[in-house]
Amino acid sequence: MRFKNIRQKVNSWGILSFIFTLLVVLPCIFILLHLLDKPNENWYHIKNYLLKDYIIDTFKVVSFTGIFTMTIGITLAWLIAAYEFPFRKFFKWALILPLTIPPYIAAYTYNGIFNYTGIVQRFFREVIKITPDPKAFDIMSTKGAIFIFSAFLFPYVYMISRSFLEKQSAALIENARLLGRSSSSIFIRVILPISRGAIVGGTSLAILEVLNDFGVVSYFGVQTFTTAIFNAWFSMGDSSTAVKLASMLMFTVFLVLMSEKWMRGRKKYSYTTAKVRDIVPIKLKGIKAVGAFFYCLTILSIGFIIPLLQLISWSALTYKAILNIKLIGLTFNSIWLAAISAFFIIIISIVISNFCRMNSNWISKIFSKISILGYSIPGAVIAIGVILLMISIDRNMVWLYKAIDPNSKTLVLSTSIFMLTFAYIIRFLAIGYQSIESGFDKIGIRFFEASRTLGYGVTKSFFKVDLPMIKPALISGFALVFVDIVKELLLTLILRPFNFNTLATKTYEYAGDEKIHEAAIPALIIILVSMVVVYLLYEIGDKEKR
Amino acid sequence: MFIDIKKISFKYKNAKIDTLKNINFGIEKGEILSILGESGGGKSTILRIIAGLETPSEGSLVIDNRILFDRNTFILPEKRGVGMVFQDYALFPHMTVEENIMFGLRNFSKKEKEIRVKEMLQLVNLQDFARRYPHELSGGQQQRVAIARALAPKPSVLLLDEPFSNLDAHLKSKIREELKVILNRTGMTAIFVTHDKEDVKSIADKVVVLENGIIADIGITSKILK
Repeated sequence: MRFKNIRQKVNSWGILSFIFTLLVVLPCIFILLHLLDKPNENWYHIKNYLLKDYIIDTFKVVSFTGIFTMTIGITLAWLIAAYEFPFRKFFKWALILPLTIPPYIAAYTYNGIFNYTGIVQRFFREVIKITPDPKAFDIMSTKGAIFIFSAFLFPYVYMISRSFLEKQSAALIENARLLGRSSSSIFIRVILPISRGAIVGGTSLAILEVLNDFGVVSYFGVQTFTTAIFNAWFSMGDSSTAVKLASMLMFTVFLVLMSEKWMRGRKKYSYTTAKVRDIVPIKLKGIKAVGAFFYCLTILSIGFIIPLLQLISWSALTYKAILNIKLIGLTFNSIWLAAISAFFIIIISIVISNFCRMNSNWISKIFSKISILGYSIPGAVIAIGVILLMISIDRNMVWLYKAIDPNSKTLVLSTSIFMLTFAYIIRFLAIGYQSIESGFDKIGIRFFEASRTLGYGVTKSFFKVDLPMIKPALISGFALVFVDIVKELLLTLILRPFNFNTLATKTYEYAGDEKIHEAAIPALIIILVSMVVVYLLYEIGDKEKR
Repeated sequence: MFIDIKKISFKYKNAKIDTLKNINFGIEKGEILSILGESGGGKSTILRIIAGLETPSEGSLVIDNRILFDRNTFILPEKRGVGMVFQDYALFPHMTVEENIMFGLRNFSKKEKEIRVKEMLQLVNLQDFARRYPHELSGGQQQRVAIARALAPKPSVLLLDEPFSNLDAHLKSKIREELKVILNRTGMTAIFVTHDKEDVKSIADKVVVLENGIIADIGITSKILK
């Protein structure tokens, strides 16, 4: 009986799922192993003099960004979901656009706008003829980092809360209106409590982005864990200290995730009735309509229009020098790297999620948890885990390399593009996995079962029935992963082969060399790619609703 | 007995009590048996066990002298030669009516496939709908496609899960008649699950009354439902 059960469950899908999840966990295991390394001088130095600053800076950036993204996100979501005002339809999707500008690009751009030679100070000097104190415009600080993160990450809260409010709240809001509550009182007494889960979910996504960020904080000189890990590794060449810092960062992430769980509470605020009406927006008039319009416009300008215009004007200055064969090479690098990694991620996601939906037991639960683990692990931590793993593999495989090619280098994997692809897979698997999983959820298991009773095995059924039906989920999963990889900076920077550049690393390099104008064109290409994908996904989502 | 079910018990994961306890019954070839009971009483689970979609905790299942399940055997659903019509029909939305019916005919030659699909379309009276997609059909038509699809590979038994529950009341008696005609014409052995005594009276030769996972009554329809 037992044996029969095992044979039924272990098939190639299960074996592949096991191998894939093992690959995802391995780098984490390597970090844990190195955690036991004896602390050295660097570590004591950091612990005695610097650690306090890391913790305080990280805490400041995380908590203020959390508060601001939450405030901006939920107010916008409420306005768009419950009221009708000029250009509401436009703002509804346009307010997602700040996500298409990676925060590190926003950071260079805003620094370029506000620094001594930037448009703001020039305006004061040349038009108003006063020379303001340059310090008043210095955004290269913790406050500046908070500004950038809030202005460009709020769409996480906005998107999740808005779709929640649109779908879930119609009856509650209408009831509250009938009971004679004013708009502000409905917002505080009804909207905030019912959308708590959505707000907390969106905010924690934004916070995870902050903890993962390297570009903004390193450019602004803010001392967070990510910069500290990077410095320990590259400036001091000290892997054991880097690992210790990485594990502290992981602990912080763990706290964020735990508090998310705790703040969501036990209650699930969602309807049990199948018929959920869309909320009918109230028409705003006069000053209120103008106010709503300008609020949305201001946020959109700061988070998208202003930096975009600035980048376009810079690229007009530099396109002659930049638009060349090298730029095409960079674009090509970014695109094929993202495409290949996204392809593997989708394949792995399909295998694991298909296995999980057919076997609901503790093994599949662990597989599914591990698949989404990577997204909460900051890039710096993944980078270190992957390097440690690859170097260790290389050391143990030298005999094989030499056997194949006597002149082979000793470090093969850890100097190849494979290492970077592997890290991307770990970090972005969650995104692919979740969209494939929701695709499978939508079609259910009935079609698969029908195919089984009509004579097809698990794998044949998958290719003939399930695969064609989850195509929309495949496309959106691929697009989401693709765009995230094109934007990705830290992993690419640390793990790329020598002299290998992508749009993201080149933008970072230009900006770091004070060539902000030259950084504009690669940055614009990244933003353009992101915009195309956002538009596609919006279209797909809209179609499915209809 | 053509189909022989002995001592089948079944428990869903995480459930405290057995969904099915010690189920025993048999069917002769060409007979139509109905499983009658309240919803949630484990009726559909019996069909799923026969189809191989669930694994019972004990018991045995034999169809046409072939052991499909016992202590040492578990034949996979795709190897059982059992046709099933799902409650929601589960017609593949990305395939036309024709393609849906052809789906199970993997071991047929191209010529045989065409002939068989034509036969089936004729049987369920949907000749003119071969190129339609499932969402372009009415509920009753969808059900007929589902029946045709399940019958096409010539299964040894046809299982129908609540075949009339998704249909409008005024269609019910008409569709019952149609199903009866189809089953009689093919001489198919069939098991169907329902909560409506009228369904049983008009179609079934034999009935199993299921209450809380155990068989409360079993016998010829006319004797059980007087």
